[in-house]
Amino acid sequence: MVIPKINAADRGTRGQRIFRRFNVVFLTGVVILTLYPFVNIIARSFSQNGYIISGQVNLLPRGFNLTTYRIVLTDPLFWTNYGNTVLYTVVSTLVAMILTTCYAYVLAKKHLRGRTALILIAVFTMFFNGGLIPNYVLISSLGLKNTIWAVALPNAISVFNLLVMKTFFESLPPDLEEAAAIDGMNTYRILWRIVLPLSKAVMATMVLFYAVSFWNSWFTAFLYLNKLELFPVTVYLRNIIAGVSGGEMAGANGRDIGELLQVAANIQSVTVLLTILPIVAIYPFVQRYFVSGVMLGAVKG
Amino acid sequence: MSTSKTLDPAQAARDARPARNEGLKRRRRPDRRPWRQAVLRDWQLYTLAILPLAFFAIFRYLPMIGNVIAFRKYRPGGSLFGEEWVGLRYIQLFLGDPTFWNVLLNTVILGLLTLLICFPLPIVLALLINEVRGRAFKRFVQSISYLPHFLSTVVVAGIFIELLSLNGPVNRILRSASLDPIAFMQEPGWFRTVYISSELWQTVGWGTIIYLAALTMVDDQLYEAARIDGAGRLRQIWHVTLPGIRPTIMAVFVLNTGTFMAVGFEKVLLLYNPLTYPTADVINTYLYRLGIVSGNFSYAGAIGLFEAVIGLIMVLSANLLSRRTVGAGLW
Amino acid sequence: MHQVTRRNVLVAIGALALAAACGSEDTGKKGGGAAAGKDGAMANYGVGTQFKATKPLTFTMLHNIHPAYPVKNDWLFWSELEKRTGVKLALTLIPFADYDQKKAVIITAGDAPMIVPKMYPGQETPFVASGALLPVSDYVDMLPNFKDKVAKWNIQGDLDTLRQEDGRYYLLPGVHEDVWLDYSLAIRTDVLEEIGMPAPTTWDELYTVLKAMKEKHPDNYPFSDRWNIPTPGGNLLNILAQSYGTQGGWTFVNEHGAYWDGTAGKFVYGPAMDQYKQMLQYLNKLVKEGLLDPESFTQKDEDATAKFTAGKSYVIGSNAQSLVNEYRPGLAKAVPDAKVTKIPVPLGPAGNVKVGTRLENGIVINAKAKDSPNFVAMMQFIDWLWYSDAGEVFAKWGVEGVTYAKDASGDFKLNPGVDFLGLNPSAPKHLQKDFGFSNGVFAYGGTTQLLNSTFSDEEKQFQNVMNGRQTLPVRPPFPLSEAEREQASLWETPLADHVQQNTLKFILGKRDFSEWDAFVKELEGKNLTSYMDLVNKAYQRFKQQHG
Repeated sequence: MVIPKINAADRGTRGQRIFRRFNVVFLTGVVILTLYPFVNIIARSFSQNGYIISGQVNLLPRGFNLTTYRIVLTDPLFWTNYGNTVLYTVVSTLVAMILTTCYAYVLAKKHLRGRTALILIAVFTMFFNGGLIPNYVLISSLGLKNTIWAVALPNAISVFNLLVMKTFFESLPPDLEEAAAIDGMNTYRILWRIVLPLSKAVMATMVLFYAVSFWNSWFTAFLYLNKLELFPVTVYLRNIIAGVSGGEMAGANGRDIGELLQVAANIQSVTVLLTILPIVAIYPFVQRYFVSGVMLGAVKG
Repeated sequence: MSTSKTLDPAQAARDARPARNEGLKRRRRPDRRPWRQAVLRDWQLYTLAILPLAFFAIFRYLPMIGNVIAFRKYRPGGSLFGEEWVGLRYIQLFLGDPTFWNVLLNTVILGLLTLLICFPLPIVLALLINEVRGRAFKRFVQSISYLPHFLSTVVVAGIFIELLSLNGPVNRILRSASLDPIAFMQEPGWFRTVYISSELWQTVGWGTIIYLAALTMVDDQLYEAARIDGAGRLRQIWHVTLPGIRPTIMAVFVLNTGTFMAVGFEKVLLLYNPLTYPTADVINTYLYRLGIVSGNFSYAGAIGLFEAVIGLIMVLSANLLSRRTVGAGLW
Repeated sequence: MHQVTRRNVLVAIGALALAAACGSEDTGKKGGGAAAGKDGAMANYGVGTQFKATKPLTFTMLHNIHPAYPVKNDWLFWSELEKRTGVKLALTLIPFADYDQKKAVIITAGDAPMIVPKMYPGQETPFVASGALLPVSDYVDMLPNFKDKVAKWNIQGDLDTLRQEDGRYYLLPGVHEDVWLDYSLAIRTDVLEEIGMPAPTTWDELYTVLKAMKEKHPDNYPFSDRWNIPTPGGNLLNILAQSYGTQGGWTFVNEHGAYWDGTAGKFVYGPAMDQYKQMLQYLNKLVKEGLLDPESFTQKDEDATAKFTAGKSYVIGSNAQSLVNEYRPGLAKAVPDAKVTKIPVPLGPAGNVKVGTRLENGIVINAKAKDSPNFVAMMQFIDWLWYSDAGEVFAKWGVEGVTYAKDASGDFKLNPGVDFLGLNPSAPKHLQKDFGFSNGVFAYGGTTQLLNSTFSDEEKQFQNVMNGRQTLPVRPPFPLSEAEREQASLWETPLADHVQQNTLKFILGKRDFSEWDAFVKELEGKNLTSYMDLVNKAYQRFKQQHG
C-alpha cells in the first residue's frame, strides 16, 4: 500500500504544516477523550467513598480502598452470572457459526436454483422485522423463557456476518471443490474438509464478531430471563446501574453501614471494570481481526 | 484494483442486486434447469439451508406475522396471534394517545440528531486520520478510538452515568468554574446531549474504518491530476476524496436510516428515568413499558407495527435517494 | 420473481403451522379437574389446626431480595417451615427495587410461580382480565383462618374495595386488626435541643424548626429526603398529601390519582385538587429557602442516608426499621452524641386525621394452581402461614426457645443472642438477617397485640399518638370492565407521568405556581375528564349492582 499523495505533502506549505500540527493535537484530544472515562472509572473503583461523594476523584485513586472489590468478588451471584456470560457466549457463538456458515455456503453457490429467493429471505430481515412485542410473545409461547435458548437462538444469524462470509466463499477458487466432488466427496465433506480449512481467517473473524456481540448483549437476557441465577454479568451490571440492586446482592448487608456506603459509592465503577476486563485484555491482540473483518476483501484482487 | 470486491456492509448488502440480475438474465435462457433436476443434483446443498431457513421462519418471519395482534385482542398465555378481531381499535387508541405523539416526536428528534451528528463525524475523523503521516501515531489513534465499540451498551451507560453524576468529573469541572453542578441524568433538557455524546463516544472511532478502507481505494491519479491543476489539500479533499467515497457514504446513510426509528433503544432504556421521559421516552421504550411491563400487548403491537412500517418506508426512500444521487443504492 | 413469492408463501405456511402447534400445546394443559386437587391436603383443617401436608410438597413462589436481609438458604425459617408443614418453597428471586416491575412482567407473560406475594391492593387489577390470577374470593371456604379474621375484625367492608367488575376479588390481602402506620420522619433531637425547640407536630412547625436549623448550620440542607422508588418523593408526598386531604406519592401510584371526595360523594383527581397545589407550595417554600435538599426527590436511598448519618442533614423520611437499622448505627460512627427519633406524622390542614386501611399487601395466586393436584393443600398452607395465629407468630417471631421466649403474661421476648429493631443491639445474630423471620414477605398483619410485640417503647409511643387520630373512611370500589381497564391504563400512565414531572417542577421552582391552571388544563388535554368520568361511572354501576 503506497501512499504517494503524502509524498508531495513533505514539502508542504506553511498552511499545511500548521494544519498537520493542529491535526495531531486534535487527534490526541480524541484519544484523551476516549481514554479519560476509563481512567476515571479505574480511579473511582479504588477510591474511598468520602472522596467519591465529594467529587474529588479524577485521574488517580484517593484514599485507596478495596472494600467494594472484595465484596463483589466474593459475591457468589457475581461469579454465577460471569459464568453464565461465558456459557452463553460459547453456546450462542457455536450455534451462530454453524447456522451462518451453512447458509453462507449455500448462498455462495451461484448455480443453485432458488438462490435469489434464499438471499432475499435473509436480506429482507435487515430492513423489516417483527418488532419487540411479537418477538416477546413468540419467545414466551415457544416456552423458551428462562432457558439459554432464549438468548442463543433469536440472534443466531447476523445478516451482515452472513453476507461477509458469503462473499468470502464466493471468492474461493472453485477448482479444489470441483476436484473433490469428482473424487466422490459429498457436499458436507467438501465444506468441512476443503472449504473451512481455507477459511480459517474469516472464520476467526466471524467468531470474534459473534462472541463480542454475545458477550456484550444484555437486553435479550433481561427480557427473557427472570431468574437471578440465569443472568449474564451484563444484567448483573444493569441491575446495579438501574439502582435495583447494590451492596445487598453482594452480601454487604446492613450490619456495617460504613461498608454499605463504600459499596454504594463505587460498586458501579467496580462492576463496570470487572465486566470489561476480558474484552480490554484481549483487545490489543485481536483488534486486527475485527478491522480485517470489515476491510476483508476491501483491497483484495 | 478494478476487480476488487468490497466487503463493507454496503457492498455486501448490495450483493442481492447482482444476484437478482443474474437470475433475470438466466430466466431469458431456455436451458434453465427444472426444479426437479436442481433438487436431485443439489439436495445436499438444500439440506444445509434447512436449519437456517427454519431460523428465519421462526425468529424473523413468524414475528412479522405476529404483528396481526395489532388488529386482534391478544391475551397472555393465549394464541400467538390473538383471540378475536378488533379491527382498527388499537390504531384509533394510539392515534388518540397524547403520549404516543410525544414519544414519536422524541424518536424523530433523537433519530435526526443521530443522523446529523453521529453520521457525518466519522467521515470527518476518517479524513483527519487519513492526513496523519506518522504510521505509528495513526495506528495508535485508530486502535484507541475503536475500543469503545467493543463495550456493552450497559457498560457505556454505566460509564456515562458515573461521569455525569453529581460527584463525577464533569460536575467537578463545572464546580471549579464556580458553576452550579447539574444533575445531567435527571434533567429532561440534557437527555439528548447525554445520549448523543455517549453515542458519539461509542461509535465515531469504529465508524471511520469503512471510510478509511474506501479512502485507500480512491485513484491516486486523480490526486495527481488535481495537484497539477494547482488544487490545495482542501480542494483535493473536496473534489477528489469526497466524490471518491461518496458511494460508501450513501450506503452507510441508507443503512443508518434503517435504524432511524429504532434509535438506540437499549441505551435509552438504560439512560432514561421517569424524570427524563419528556425528552427521552422513544417509541420502543414506550412499547416496552406498555406492552411487556403493563401487558397491553395488542396496543403496543399496533404502535410497533406502525414504527416498523415507517422504518421500512424510510429505508426505501433513502435507497431511492441514493440511487438518484450516486446512481447506486443498496439494492 | 414468481419463485420468490412461492418460497415466501411456503415459509408463511410453515410458520403458521408451527404457531398453531404452539397454541394447541397451551390449551392441552387445561382440564385437570378442580375436584381432584386434594392431594396432600388435610381432611379436617380448620381454625386452630396446625397445617401439615399429608405428603411432602413443593410450591413455587416469587420472593424479593431485601436490601436489609437478603435471602439465605440456611434460614431457620425454611427448615422449620418444612418441619411444621411439610412444605418446601421453591423461590424465584427478584432484586427488591425491581420487584414491582418484574412481578408484573412475569404475571403478564403467564409464567408466574404459584404464589406471588407483596402485591399491593390495586396492583392486581391489570392482570385480572387476562385470567392469569385465581379469583380467590371463590375459594375462601378453603381458608378458615382468613374467614375467621375477616368476620371477627369486621373487615368485609375493606375487602369489598378489592372487588373487580365481576364482583370477585383476586388479591388475598394481609389483614390488620387495626389501621397501622409506620412511615413518618426521623429528626435529630440533639439538634432540636441545640436550637431550643420541641419536636414539630405540624408541618408549619416543621418549617420553623428547619429554618432555625438552617440558621445554626447554614452550610447544610437540614432536610434531605429519600424513598424515590417507584415515584419521586414516594413517602414524603404520601404523608404530606394525607395531612392536606389529597393524594400523593406512593398512594398516588397505587390508586392512580382517583381520590375519594367523601363530601361530594364522588371521585376527583388528587393532583388536580387545590389541596395538592397547597402541598406543593409548602414544599416549594422549603426548597426556596434552602431548607429541603433539592436532591431529595431524585437521590438514591443510600445517598440520603449517607448525608443523614454523616451529620449533614437532620431530618429524613423514616420507618421503625430504618431508624434502628440504618440511622442510629450510621450516626453512632460519625456523630457519636447524635440522638434521633421518629416523630408522629406532622399534621396539616386536614386536621387530626390519619388515612389508612386495614388491608396490607398480600398475595395473588396463579390461576393455573386450581388445576394442580395439590391445590387444596396449597390453599390450606397459605391460610395457615399467613392467617393463622400460630403461623403469624412463627413468621414474625420464629421458634420459641431459639429466637424468642414468652413470659408469664404472654408477652414476647427476644432471646438474648438475637437482635431485632435494636432491641438487643449487641447480640451477635439478627432475627431477620440470620434467621429469616419478620420477613416482609411473610410477616405483616395480625392482631394489634402481635404487631405491638416487636415495638420498642418509643415505637409504642409513636403508635399511641397515631392511634389517637381519626381514621378517614376507605375509598369505595369502582371496578372497571376489561375494555374500560384497557382504556383507563392508557390514560393513567401519561397522566401519572405528567403529574410526577410537574410535581417536581413546581416543588423545585422550575415552574411558577401562576401556571397551575395551565397545568390542570394540560391534564385535561391528557383525557383527565374522560378518565374521571370512567371512574365515577364504574363506581355508580358497582354501587347499583352490588351496593
